[in-house]
Amino acid sequence: MSFTIGIDVGGTYTDLVAIDEAGKTIFAKSPSTPSDQSVGVMAGLEELARRLHLTRQQMLGLTDRIVHGTTVATNALLERRGAKVALLTTEGHRDVVEMREGLKDNRYDLRSPPPEPLVPRELRFGVKERLKASGGVSTPLDPRSLDEAIAAISRSGATSVAVCFFHSYINPVHELAAVERLARELPEISISRSSDVLPQIKEYERVSTTIVNAYVGPLVRHYLTNLEQRLSEAGFEGSLFVILSHGGMAPIEEASRLAAGTVLSGPAGGVSGARRCSDLLNIPDLVPFDMGGTSTDISLISEGRASLSGDGMLAGQRIAMRSLDIASIAAGGGSIASVDVAGTLRVGPESAGSVPGPACYGNGGQAATVTDANVVLGYLDAGAFMGGHRPLDAAASEVAIDRVAALLGLSGLQAAAGIVTMINLKMADGIRLMTLRRGVDPRRFALLSFGGAAGLHAAEVARELDIKRIIVPTTASVLSAWGMLTSDLRYEVSRTHYGAGARISQPEARDLFAELEREATGRLRSWFKGPVMTERSAEMRYGEQIFEIDVALDGLDWDAPSLVDQIEDRFHRRHEELYTYASRDQEVVFVNARVAAVGQVSQREQDSRPLPSALACSPRTTRQAFFGAWREIPVYALDALRPGHAFEGPAIIEAETTTVIIDAGDRVTVNALGWLDIELR
Amino acid sequence: MSSAIDPITRSVVQHRLSSIVKEMGEAMLRTTYSQILNSSRDFSLAICDTGARLIAQADHLPVHVGALPWATLVVEERFKDIAPGDVFLLNDPYHGGSHLPDLTVFVPVFSGEKRLLWTIVRAHFSDIGGATHGAYNPAATEIFQEGLRVPPIKLYEGGRPREDLLDLLALNVRNPREFRGDLAAMLGAAHLGERRVSKLFNEFGAPVVEAAIEAILDATEQQTRAVVSTWKDGVFFGEAFLDDDGHGRSDIRIAAKVTKKGSDIEVDLSESDPQSTSFVNSSHANMQAAVAMAFAYLIDAEIPKNTGALRPLKVIAKQGTIVWADPGRPVTLCTSHPSNEIVEAIVKALSASCPERAMAGWSRRFRIAILGEDPRTGKNFIWHLFQARPGGGASSGGDGYSSIGEWHSVGGLKFGSLEVAEVRFPLHFRQHEFRENSGGDGQFRGGLGVALDLVLEIAKPALGNTAGDGVRHGPCGMLGGEDGVTHDYRLISEGRPPRALRTKEIGIELRPGDCLEVRSSGGGGWGPPVKRSPQARARDREQGLVTGDTTAGQKSP
Repeated sequence: MSFTIGIDVGGTYTDLVAIDEAGKTIFAKSPSTPSDQSVGVMAGLEELARRLHLTRQQMLGLTDRIVHGTTVATNALLERRGAKVALLTTEGHRDVVEMREGLKDNRYDLRSPPPEPLVPRELRFGVKERLKASGGVSTPLDPRSLDEAIAAISRSGATSVAVCFFHSYINPVHELAAVERLARELPEISISRSSDVLPQIKEYERVSTTIVNAYVGPLVRHYLTNLEQRLSEAGFEGSLFVILSHGGMAPIEEASRLAAGTVLSGPAGGVSGARRCSDLLNIPDLVPFDMGGTSTDISLISEGRASLSGDGMLAGQRIAMRSLDIASIAAGGGSIASVDVAGTLRVGPESAGSVPGPACYGNGGQAATVTDANVVLGYLDAGAFMGGHRPLDAAASEVAIDRVAALLGLSGLQAAAGIVTMINLKMADGIRLMTLRRGVDPRRFALLSFGGAAGLHAAEVARELDIKRIIVPTTASVLSAWGMLTSDLRYEVSRTHYGAGARISQPEARDLFAELEREATGRLRSWFKGPVMTERSAEMRYGEQIFEIDVALDGLDWDAPSLVDQIEDRFHRRHEELYTYASRDQEVVFVNARVAAVGQVSQREQDSRPLPSALACSPRTTRQAFFGAWREIPVYALDALRPGHAFEGPAIIEAETTTVIIDAGDRVTVNALGWLDIELR
Repeated sequence: MSSAIDPITRSVVQHRLSSIVKEMGEAMLRTTYSQILNSSRDFSLAICDTGARLIAQADHLPVHVGALPWATLVVEERFKDIAPGDVFLLNDPYHGGSHLPDLTVFVPVFSGEKRLLWTIVRAHFSDIGGATHGAYNPAATEIFQEGLRVPPIKLYEGGRPREDLLDLLALNVRNPREFRGDLAAMLGAAHLGERRVSKLFNEFGAPVVEAAIEAILDATEQQTRAVVSTWKDGVFFGEAFLDDDGHGRSDIRIAAKVTKKGSDIEVDLSESDPQSTSFVNSSHANMQAAVAMAFAYLIDAEIPKNTGALRPLKVIAKQGTIVWADPGRPVTLCTSHPSNEIVEAIVKALSASCPERAMAGWSRRFRIAILGEDPRTGKNFIWHLFQARPGGGASSGGDGYSSIGEWHSVGGLKFGSLEVAEVRFPLHFRQHEFRENSGGDGQFRGGLGVALDLVLEIAKPALGNTAGDGVRHGPCGMLGGEDGVTHDYRLISEGRPPRALRTKEIGIELRPGDCLEVRSSGGGGWGPPVKRSPQARARDREQGLVTGDTTAGQKSP
């Protein structure tokens, strides 16, 4: 008997999933402990062991791998609780991070002050040194100016330093020398070097990413080291991995060194889970739709793959490391409905959060939320919320919704229906941006509904987009933790090749990729002994464009003289796919080469389910709910549904942590895994 | 409320229309060729109705907001038999355009037989023919020297492009391939919008959408009036000055007389100075847009920018003045100047009516374009200065943004990576940092401009042009705040005495190793300097934003 365990720390709950070698899957949930997440993790492991009828010590002793999604970096950034960071940079260029390339949000808001950078100006130190665009030295690194800066950093009390010099992506010589000196003079200080964190051209993206790394790095390292120790004391002898924003996982030393790469660690598990769903069901095109209380994460699985992008931004900070393409919308079940002076109904962006929460939580929340609207419409059963452990106050929902309705001159019911319509539109907009913006037609995709609130809204959101199919996995409420178990180990390296107007040559391309591949696989093999695959890609654009696109380069003949033609052909074809046209007579610019080494972990098979049941499928009960009019609606228990069951809406399907609304005429089939496969009329 | 449409349907239709224009914008951003579009995003999208009312627009360039209804009006007046599949195009400032490089395409949207709306895309092209590359020609004394004039033309007829007209346009510009690529992207975006609006008609039925639109405009008007009615009534005056027109006239005055009564605002620009011989004149549509832009900055940021928001606003101006030139006058600089001065004069006037809302001056535009040869490749290059973004104005909300932009761009213009610029051009950015002591002092300090030292690593002489303003008049201080420090660009060249660059020069000789010392202006300060907190002053010193023995925090060389 042995286990692998996935642990996803969310805002409210820590989800845990254990799979044994037979594929048997056990879930547990435990309240999160934001001040020290490892407390909640250890408590969750206790609960998981209880469900396995083992002691925690026994279970951990039998566990060979734990994969962990953490929000330590995310929260540090959102709440501004990171390290005191100093920046060492090229003289004359201290303000790159505060200039933000000259852009600001909200064009018409000219009365909000600028955001505070993570590193204030007095902690940004210029050093006399300069490289040319070719990588040659134009001003040698001046030791005196470096020592002065280091002395100033020492006086400042900074605990972490970001080092970022101009053109270091092509030649790190000055950064390496500065880091060596820093480490000798200030041995206690944490150091992030831009040519290590993100060796790519574009100074704003590089310096901002390096600063974020320096800002969250010490906290992430402290947390992971602490957790590792607790686990080891509790009897765990296997390996602990952390899931990174790009969806791969890495040992804790790597995750600590490149801590900026953990800011999407949580939602990345959801994407891995979605990819696994796509694989299991053989549905290559999925829109994962993870709607929770305060935020909703939307991503895209196309042809079985999740797309990666370097456009990341979190809490106003640019993080240009490649990460899964996940759009986070600050809206969910807790979004607050209000009426503005013109009598227009608005839903969000304010949220009641989990404290005080929607009015129906009875924690003192007065505002009408989406969840309250769902209660008023009869979609949520006030008595059965969270498996009946946390009943809702339906009367409080009505009072809150009536207040909004009065301002609109509508009935409470009309207002509630309007609130639900508005939030559904917002969700559909998010999916549109995720799909149409990338040139993808959402209509050929299925919606994968997971997260606490998704099932209530999935049908209407799908209809808004002309999506015809919705999948609700039984693992819906812990999909992220479950997904982590299916992640691969991944280590990526990239390098800019940016000849001044000169086309890359065949030997240059071949050697560049070969070198990157050696570096990536070498690093991965230092902590992983299993089979390693590599993926090659490049970021390219047309000469006059500024948005590079990422082009997969697997399967090329790297020794052929026509290599560069092959590479450019891949680019033209990808451009055509994305934007409907290619300009084959235009110059193609090769910007970044990238290699990922992927260590494949063994996939444990999904729980084998009983054969289709011969039992008739019958609702547990019925209740009044508003489907265009008040109707008596059949209510099914998700646990009681078996493969082969099928029925038509209107219906409500309830599980411990989620509720799914089936509209009239939509057809539900329970698939071989016991999941809901909903076909829209 | 003028109609009986329910508030939910109204919200849904409003949401949909706004998501349609956003989607059109995404398509533009990703598919255009020229840097000025895909990087600097100098384009706008809108939906207007057949009555030339602005129904929805995407927040791209404020200076386009109020101009598109005027362009729509001209198309409506010119063409009577408009059929599905037709597409219209114009750029002429005397036929609904703002200035020649801005091309506008219009696609009609039908519901059955009935034509109801237009989807519209306006974009700034990097070249439009004329005497100089890039359409900015300080020497021009008539519009014919500025580029190709296009009155409203039917570019597509019944779904078929008029290839002859496309050839005519492409033949008259310096970069026909890029021109065609950008035009194709615009047409794609407008057609995308048309499809989505048609779907909206099918789903709700045209009468419901029409009723919802009336309700949206009425609600926006009501929302705007609710804001304006909280301002003080009275007649207020404001003025702002252009440095010069480059043809001998200095301190050209833009005068705004603003009457605020109840929830109505009347802006009268009639007393502004007479028109100029050079490109600093404004077209009529651009003047309307500049007034709308000033108004949009003063009301709440969340109010939708549609015709309803502009209903409380009445604009009076006199033809033959600098803000509304006679047909045939050059106008290319107008989207920045005198737009910036029009905005500043109006905001100044209304600062007596709504002081908490009036922001101090944002900067003026001062551009440089260089034509030369890259010694590394032997190829010609043309480079435009987008770096050294100037400072933004302070406001009651706090200090201004540094390195952010002008009144007409307000943080919407991206300057991009210096590393990339050094790879692509023979340039060395020796310094590019905040320009200390450049923000106007005040209770809240103006944002800082940028100090750029740019060394030209060329082997043969190159040519420079400038276009802009703001070396004599800095961004205005507001309510006791001080003006931002003006632009100051210098050419340092071995063997020649250093000299200040003027804002409207052509044919500047640039030699190998020359250095352009660009010092862009800081934003204006807000409120009396004595009210600035000691802590804020200490922070300014600690951060090195204010240095030396300046007591007021600015006006050092």
